[in-house]
Amino acid sequence: MTAVRPRLQSLIFEVTQACNHTCLHCYNVWQGGGLYPLGQLDTPRTLNLLAKALDETTCSHVTLTGGEPLLRSDLPRILEFLQQRRVRVTVISNGRLLTEPAVASLLERGVGLFELPLLSHQRQVHDELSGAPGAWDAVLAAMANVRLQHGQVVAAFVATRKNIERLGETLKLAFAFGVRGVMFNRFNPGGRGRQRLSELLPTVDQVRDALEVAEKMSVELKLPVSCSIPIQPCLIDISQYPHLGFGFCAAGSERAYYTLDPLGNLRACNHTDLILGNLFEESFTNLIAPERMSAFTCAIPAFCADCDRRLECQGGCKASAQVCYGSLTEEEPFLRNGLLRADQING
Amino acid sequence: MNLSRRDFMKLVGVSVASLALTRCSLPIGVTCYAPLPPSPYPTDSARDRLRTCWLSFGELARRTQESAQQGSSEDTYGAELTADHRAALDELVASGELTASVADLVQEAYNAAVYHVWRSNSLMTCYEPMMVDYAPVSANILVEQSAALDEIAAQGAVDPATLETARAALEHDLAFYAMTDEEVSNLYNRIVTEWQAQGGTTPSFDELDLEITPDAQAAAQFIISLLTGQ
Repeated sequence: MTAVRPRLQSLIFEVTQACNHTCLHCYNVWQGGGLYPLGQLDTPRTLNLLAKALDETTCSHVTLTGGEPLLRSDLPRILEFLQQRRVRVTVISNGRLLTEPAVASLLERGVGLFELPLLSHQRQVHDELSGAPGAWDAVLAAMANVRLQHGQVVAAFVATRKNIERLGETLKLAFAFGVRGVMFNRFNPGGRGRQRLSELLPTVDQVRDALEVAEKMSVELKLPVSCSIPIQPCLIDISQYPHLGFGFCAAGSERAYYTLDPLGNLRACNHTDLILGNLFEESFTNLIAPERMSAFTCAIPAFCADCDRRLECQGGCKASAQVCYGSLTEEEPFLRNGLLRADQING
Repeated sequence: MNLSRRDFMKLVGVSVASLALTRCSLPIGVTCYAPLPPSPYPTDSARDRLRTCWLSFGELARRTQESAQQGSSEDTYGAELTADHRAALDELVASGELTASVADLVQEAYNAAVYHVWRSNSLMTCYEPMMVDYAPVSANILVEQSAALDEIAAQGAVDPATLETARAALEHDLAFYAMTDEEVSNLYNRIVTEWQAQGGTTPSFDELDLEITPDAQAAAQFIISLLTGQ
């Protein structure tokens, strides 16, 4: 009998650590100023790595991210390989290099979905958050190019103090450009973004107001909106927004998005810098064995110990807690700030 | 076509699940005096239990949707079905009805079918926000998108060339909606004809160079026999 292979809903592959933007909110773990391994494998080794990951799991969907994936010159070869393996592919890009020929090339090679940032309806705000002049024009052009060639786009809105109050106009712009959905991701500090925590992290009240806008516009425009970065129900009653999707940490479950870096190091998700091991050195099954994952899956802040929803919510993003405060069991920044504010209000 | 036996079995499994979910009739082997049981019923033979597993996709879809409404995307029922299916196959292997390699392939097909049904009915998540096939959204939405685009264009901030591309894309979709069924059908026929005129041909199944091993053929045949009660 064949050994049971772990069933994964999706695998994330960080194609490259290079990027042509310097987003203020960037959570890439190698941007955190720490000792995270840098570099990438050559093309044959990269294909071997992906083959091993797919051989050792049951996974039919791979998300290619970075850095900026389009900066890697052998991206077409990687896509052809995944196409041969009949794996569905999503590309997360900043859109800067998604010209009409580039989009055609990626679509021909089976990219099913493009996840592109739309941080504001205003050029200045989007460009400032992207740390790159011209980013807004580039991403809108990319969205139009993808749609013209019958590809699909989901827009990612990273909600920070700098853009959250104009969410409505941004959703309308995304709608006009034909996106199939919007990911409302409240800023989740990590990587470079950790250094700008107080400048960027929205307050609970700001997020609540934004969710009201998102709920209303999701209905009005018939535009799916998902909130995938955890929003703790003790801070905001998410049942008030029935048309929005809410997600919590999936680490350790079938919905987990294990993340492979360009050197073959595997992590529990793309927000954590804790390396489970290298896939060239061990099997996927061993790397995600419960004894290795338990530190991640069992961690919960002390504040949440008596909460009825602790197993679902898990206190929010543990990776952010660990990256920002050094421990998976700390309260992550959004929770910590929310509780602090509640304490102030309650005197 | 370079299709591995594993991929072939996944396609078999997903196809069967799709057929079952579109109410494609599978002979149940009941009479008017023995109507359909209301739920998966206790059975004795391993073959019957396997059959029940393959006829449970509607229930899996229903439970997955219910879980999704409650904010969960755990696949508990799918995991139960998968385990039941494996256990029944192991019995057939032990009794010599199936070889271990054929049983593994049948299980591969079933795993893919369960995953397909679950995935199609489950919540969206962070990195798989929505997996929808391309099709123009409703005509009303396109009209509203067009109005929104005009409004944005009037503000003058977006690059004119980008607006032109966005408008062209919208017009493609609107044009599709303006077509009658007959025109759509003619369009598809024209595309096929043009493709064939350029040297492309549609091969018959027998002509496909499918790399299907005898084990994979036996596994596919086993699934068909199981479901047709032969």
